[in-house]
Order: sequence, then structure tokens, then C-alpha cells
Amino acid sequence: MSARISFLKNPDPCNHLSDYKLRYGTDGYKSFQKLFRCFNDGRTKIKPQEIEIPRCSYCSVYHRRLYICLICRSISCSSHILSHTQSNKGHDIAIDVERSELYCCSCIDQVYDPEFDEVVVSKQLIGLCMSVKSGADVVAVRSNKKRRLDSQLIIGSKFLVSSRDRREKWSFPLGLRGLNNLGSTCFMNAVLQALVHAPPLRNFWLSGQHNRDLCPRRSMGLLCLPCDLDLIFSAMFSGDRTPYSPAHLLYSWWKHSTNLATYEQQDSHEFFISLLDCIHENEGKSKCLYKDHEECQCITHRAFSGLLRSDVTCSTCGSTSTTYDPFIDISLTLDSAKGLSPADCRKNRNSGEPSVNAPMPTLSGCLDFFTRPEKLGPDQKLNCQSCGEKRESSKQMSIRRLPLLLCLHVKRFEHSLTRKTSRKIDSYLQYPFRLNMSPYLSSSIIGKRFGNRIFAFDGEGEYDGSSSSSSSAEFEIFAVVTHSGMMASGHYVTYLRLKGLWYRCDDAWINEVEEEVVRGCECYMLFYAQERVIQKAHKELSYQVISMADAFPFADC
Amino acid sequence: MKHSVNRPTTPDEDVADAYEKDELTLRESINTKMVESGEKENLMELVRDRLVECGWKDEMRIACREHVKKKGRKDVTVDELIRVITPKGRASVPDSVKEELLNRIQNFIVSAAP
Ligand SMILES: [Zn+2]
Ligand SMILES: [Zn+2]
Ligand SMILES: [Zn+2]
Ligand SMILES: [Zn+2]
Ligand SMILES: [Zn+2]
Ligand SMILES: [Zn+2]
Repeated sequence: MSARISFLKNPDPCNHLSDYKLRYGTDGYKSFQKLFRCFNDGRTKIKPQEIEIPRCSYCSVYHRRLYICLICRSISCSSHILSHTQSNKGHDIAIDVERSELYCCSCIDQVYDPEFDEVVVSKQLIGLCMSVKSGADVVAVRSNKKRRLDSQLIIGSKFLVSSRDRREKWSFPLGLRGLNNLGSTCFMNAVLQALVHAPPLRNFWLSGQHNRDLCPRRSMGLLCLPCDLDLIFSAMFSGDRTPYSPAHLLYSWWKHSTNLATYEQQDSHEFFISLLDCIHENEGKSKCLYKDHEECQCITHRAFSGLLRSDVTCSTCGSTSTTYDPFIDISLTLDSAKGLSPADCRKNRNSGEPSVNAPMPTLSGCLDFFTRPEKLGPDQKLNCQSCGEKRESSKQMSIRRLPLLLCLHVKRFEHSLTRKTSRKIDSYLQYPFRLNMSPYLSSSIIGKRFGNRIFAFDGEGEYDGSSSSSSSAEFEIFAVVTHSGMMASGHYVTYLRLKGLWYRCDDAWINEVEEEVVRGCECYMLFYAQERVIQKAHKELSYQVISMADAFPFADC
Repeated sequence: MKHSVNRPTTPDEDVADAYEKDELTLRESINTKMVESGEKENLMELVRDRLVECGWKDEMRIACREHVKKKGRKDVTVDELIRVITPKGRASVPDSVKEELLNRIQNFIVSAAP
């Protein structure tokens, strides 16, 4: 995948910070831990317990930037912080009250210390009662047990959701719950919302197929991402509607992919791929020892894996070599030349002019482009078996087998490694809620190319006819991850479709939205599921009961 | 109104002072109510969202980058950035955002009034 835009390197501390650290170590930081208050969007503020509204101790102003001295804890505004330092020797380092960031009053600048950041982050974790520390672990385990009990009530028996939940002021479907932002983690929340509401995944975890209380990896003290997801699923379906903090998962994922762990905003798509990869790693090995050509039976692959066919044809003799490759998602190119930004579309609508000369990019256009025959460049010559020579060739992709859940990724971020630049394509892309994938199946593509001659199918019908039949090529959308704003500073939001209604999941906030809102969004990842999967899920949700029998979606797949 | 004995009476000024003081306490009591009710947090979140949506944040980021580029990475402090960028930032907040915020504040005051 694309390279990260930049890796953050911690700047050297100033002399004042070094002096402070020499004298006090990290004890001073830790003594502030009690005063940190974490907020939904990932910010952490300082709130001295005694005082309701922090004020400058010199001028008692409250609406300016305030700093609290690390040594004496007195609060000063930006105009008085200098005099505080000048009249108190050694009181150089302070914390920005609104942001919990270090500030050196003598350098008149922000300073950075990874150990300080660690204290802030671990407060966020502790606050969510899932600390890395052993003491808090006990608490976490206790509340987990209770949660598990709750979720078993829902899954294991035909009980309706407990009456407490029905009294809930929200009439939202079960499982809809906001996710707190833990500091630029909307990229993660957006993907989690889509995955939590993917019917096969939901059924897998809610039916206890990866139970964190029984997991051997966890009992050996190893990190286990499927266990973290187990926790998230039971929290999401517990009936509790207060926003949940997926800190545990974030922590494991950080540990797992240490090379990606910075505080900078990540790419949702990269996170999606790496999370599914982690699940496969943790989940697949214990269950199936797959050989090269056998299909992995882990939940990642059962739900998302499809098979791509690629045909490379010699331009001289016409002989074709075919290869098959599994895929988890399909990345589509937005044909940027013809793209219109949402603003352009609005302009056209307002002026009433028909936009004849600039066709709106559509998903089917992208899929057509993906499956078009493409002439390979002279640098990619085919070593043709029948000609016995290197020849020019053309390549065509098609879908040999469709997955249960189809994830389509719209390439909006372009990274140029040579020029070291990145840009975002924010053109509007029209996509359907119901998608028929049959035109892109190998049988259709190859059929078109060879005029439906039987020989050309190369066994297309024999190895699993059922999956290329038209019935399973019908997909319905269930989640859309959108990206607004620019590359690094933008924001991810997910739209979920449950029981035919759309919900906007923006970190901790969830609200119902009209279809038009979803159609007008800047889609980044589209999640479709096979029609029958959605129909089944719909039925389950409308009774708000998931019985054990229904919880195994793969029995008939 | 009490006047200090040692001071010559300057009524005009004192009236202005008192008026300002009233203003201040009103503003303060609104602020206290807003903080206590959590509405202040909500509003700040709203503004933050709106500023991302309308591209304001991107604009500020670019302005900061340009300033850092111009001055050289080593010679810029956060304080200086705040000083230089704040006027631009204040000036370029879209009217629609201000209006929405004003409406919310007005609604809050009406609903919180005894
Ligand atoms: Zn002050
Ligand atoms: Zn001090
Ligand atoms: Zn310093
Ligand atoms: Zn596990
Ligand atoms: Zn697998
Ligand atoms: Zn050939």
C-alpha cells in the first residue's frame, strides 16, 4: 500500500525541559494524571479538582490560553506565564490546560516529551478501565464478565432484549453505539463501525466463536486482536448507548504494527487491511493449516475473500496465460480527468445547465475500467510460451469468485514516491445501493471477449458454478466510509444501513440521516454484502433476537 | 453607589466602570452555566466539526506551513504561529458558522434563563 506521508520524529528537548527531567524524572507528569480529563474527540484537558473553571492566578481571566506550572501548579494566562517563570526560578515547564501539551515558558514554545505523552495516553486507557497496568486489569476483567453475561442473554436464548433497553430513549437498532475518538482515531472508528455491522462478522463474534474468556492466546498473555474485537462486539451489543472507547483494540493494534504507531492520522483503508490481516494471523493459524491453494477458513477470509482472474494474452499469437489471485478488497481508480468535485456539481445544478460535457464518475464506470483489457507497456513483455519469445501483450482482470462481503476502495489518495508528493482526488462518485456484479465476473468478461464459445471458459463453469450464478452476484450496500477535508487533516465518518434506514456514525455521535445525505457523500470505502446475507440480517434485526441457530451463517454458504 | 472618601468624585467614569462590571459578571455567569451544563463542550465540538467541514482547518494548516517554510523550521515557535495566524483565522471563519453558533448560544440563554 501507499507509503505514509511522513514519520514523526521527536524533536530534542530544550535545556529547561532536560533540567526538569534530570531533577524530577517523570514523577511530576504522573502526579498530574489525576487531573487529566479525556474527551470524546480524543482531546485531554486539565481540570484542577478544586476549581470549577480554571483562571489565571494573576488576572483571573478564563478565556485565554492557560498554562499550569509543573512545579507549583499555579495557573497563568499566556500574558502572565512569563512573569511567573521570571519570579519563580526553575518554573519553566508548564502544561497547556486545554490541550495537555507541554510548554516551555522560557523558550516561549511548545516542547515535546514522549514520556509525557505516554502518561496522557495511559490515562485515556485507564479512564476506560482497561489499563495496561495490572491493578486496573482486575476491574476490567470484572466488568467484562458482566458484559459477557449480558451479551449471552441476547444471543444464547430467544429472550427479547431486556426491558431496560427498550426504555432507552433511542429507538435505534441494537448494536448502534458511538465510538469515542482517542486522538485522531476516526480512521479506526469508521472501519470498526462497518465491521461491527457486517452480518457474518457480527454473528461470528456474538455467537462466541472467538471467546476472549476461553482464548488460548490471551491466557498465555499474548496480544489477540480477535479477543479485542470480541470485547468490542459485546460492548456494542450490550444495549448500553453511551459512546464506547475501543482503547484496547487501539493498543493491541499499535503494538502489532509498531512501525505505523504515531499520533498522526492514519488511512482508514490501510487500517482495514492491517486489521483483517491481524485477525487472519491470530485466528487462521489455530484453526486451519492451509496449503498454498487451499482457502483459509479464518473469519477474515470466509467473509471477505474472493478470487481474481487475470488473463495475459500474447498480441502476436493470441495465446493466453491465466492466473488466479485471492483478494480481500478491490481498489478502484477514480478517473480523475473527468472527475467533478461536489462543488462543481452544485454549480451545474444551480445554473440549470445540463452537464453534458462532463459525465459524472460512476461506480460502474470504475468497475468497467478495472475489468477493461489493458495493453501492457513494452517494459512488461510477456514471455509467451507458444511463440517462445518475449511479446507485447494485453491483460484483463475479472472476478472469478465473489466474496460474501465486497469491499470496494476508491483510490482518493495519490502518493508519488518519486516526487514525494501526495494529493487527494475529491471528485464525486455516484454509487448504487444495489449492485449487480455479474458483468464483472470472469464468465461474463471472458464470454464477451470470446463470443460465448464454450472452449474459452476454461473450466469457468465447473469449479464452482453456484458462485457465478446470477443470484449471488446481487449485492446490497450496508456501510459507506467517507472522508472529508484534505489528506492529513480530514475526517472519517461512516454511514450504516440497518433495516433499510441510514445512520451517520461520526465518532461518538450517531444520528439517522436521509438517503440523499448518503448519496451526496465523498465515499472512500463501500461495503456491500450479498443480497441474501442482508435479507437474513434484516430478519434477525427486526426480531431483535439472534438465536444460536441463526448465528452460523456459513452452514449454507 | 459607594465612593471612596479619598477620591474626588468622577461620576461618569464610575458609571462606566459599574456598567462594565455588570457586563462582565453577566458574561461570567453565562460562561459558568455553559460549562456546568456541558453546553460549552458541545459548542466547541460543533465549531471544530464545522471548521473541518468547510475547509477552514485545511486553510490554517496551509497558512502555518507557509509561515514555517518562509521563516525556516528552526526559527518558529508555537507562540509566534498563534500570533501570526490568529488574525487570519478569526477573519476567515465563515459567516454561516458564526451564525449557527450565535443561534445555539441564544437558544441556550433563553432555555437557561430562570
Ligand atoms: Zn493573566
Ligand atoms: Zn510555578
Ligand atoms: Zn525551554
Ligand atoms: Zn483470542
Ligand atoms: Zn485467513
Ligand atoms: Zn505468442
